[in-house]
Amino acid sequence: MSADLAVYFEDIPVGEEYASPGRTVTEADVVIFAGLSGDYNVLHTDAEHMKASQFGERIAHGLLGLSIQQGLLDRVVTAQVTGPLAALKWKFKGPIKIGDSIHVEARVTAKRDGEQPGWGVVTVARRVVNQRGEVVQEGETDHLVGRRPA
Amino acid sequence: MSPVETAHKIYFEDVQMNVPLETPGLTLTETHAALFGSLTMSRPAEPGVIPDLIPLCVSSGLGWRVPQPPLVVLAFMGLEWRFLKSTRVGDTIHSVSKTVAKRSMKEGGVVVEERSILNQHGEIVQSGRLTLLVAKRPAS
Repeated sequence: MSADLAVYFEDIPVGEEYASPGRTVTEADVVIFAGLSGDYNVLHTDAEHMKASQFGERIAHGLLGLSIQQGLLDRVVTAQVTGPLAALKWKFKGPIKIGDSIHVEARVTAKRDGEQPGWGVVTVARRVVNQRGEVVQEGETDHLVGRRPA
Repeated sequence: MSPVETAHKIYFEDVQMNVPLETPGLTLTETHAALFGSLTMSRPAEPGVIPDLIPLCVSSGLGWRVPQPPLVVLAFMGLEWRFLKSTRVGDTIHSVSKTVAKRSMKEGGVVVEERSILNQHGEIVQSGRLTLLVAKRPAS
């Protein structure tokens, strides 16, 4: 599907699947996200403290992983499929460590009428997978998508 | 761990149910949108519109700026979240949260936090529930 094509709610097929390119999560990503979010928790910022933790090192913020996967999926799906977010259900299943490479596998799982006329809701199930094939995050997002004008 | 160190942290046992905590405010700027755009490479929002995930991300930082010692979080387990109203450059948001469930586990305990993000007009722009794994107080 071309990213430039005008796509409406009616055009999005349930069952369509997408796979994003990969991206290596770097120390710079974690530092910038700490500054942007204001979340300087030791999990993400104190290398010495984290040596003694269950993870053995700093881990990326869960919400950084969520934000990066959104950008990765945006590269491969048409704008309307990942339009304005209405809802999110998300599980952080394992750590993303500095140097891990992640990609996203996604699938349109449902479509329903929106609360406002002229809009539909598309549900996209997503899995964030690391270089070892482990699912580190997964969940689903609901997006508002405009209906084809009558 | 020394008593002084543990006294200034909130462990699973210390978490109180249904006590609302309010954060300071934070004004969303073009810079937030630009930094987020370059960090995530997500599709640019319309000019003046703040990307949907920014208020959620910023609320995680605001959550540490409440009048109580920091919670000893071992891991962020998940969230259910609703995006009710978009935010724009210049809007000032803050969040209000409370613990609505606690469950003791073998290693630590699960804490469920209900959080709402409000704008300068008092309108709820985003809200939901976050599930955290929190450390238990170390035996002294």
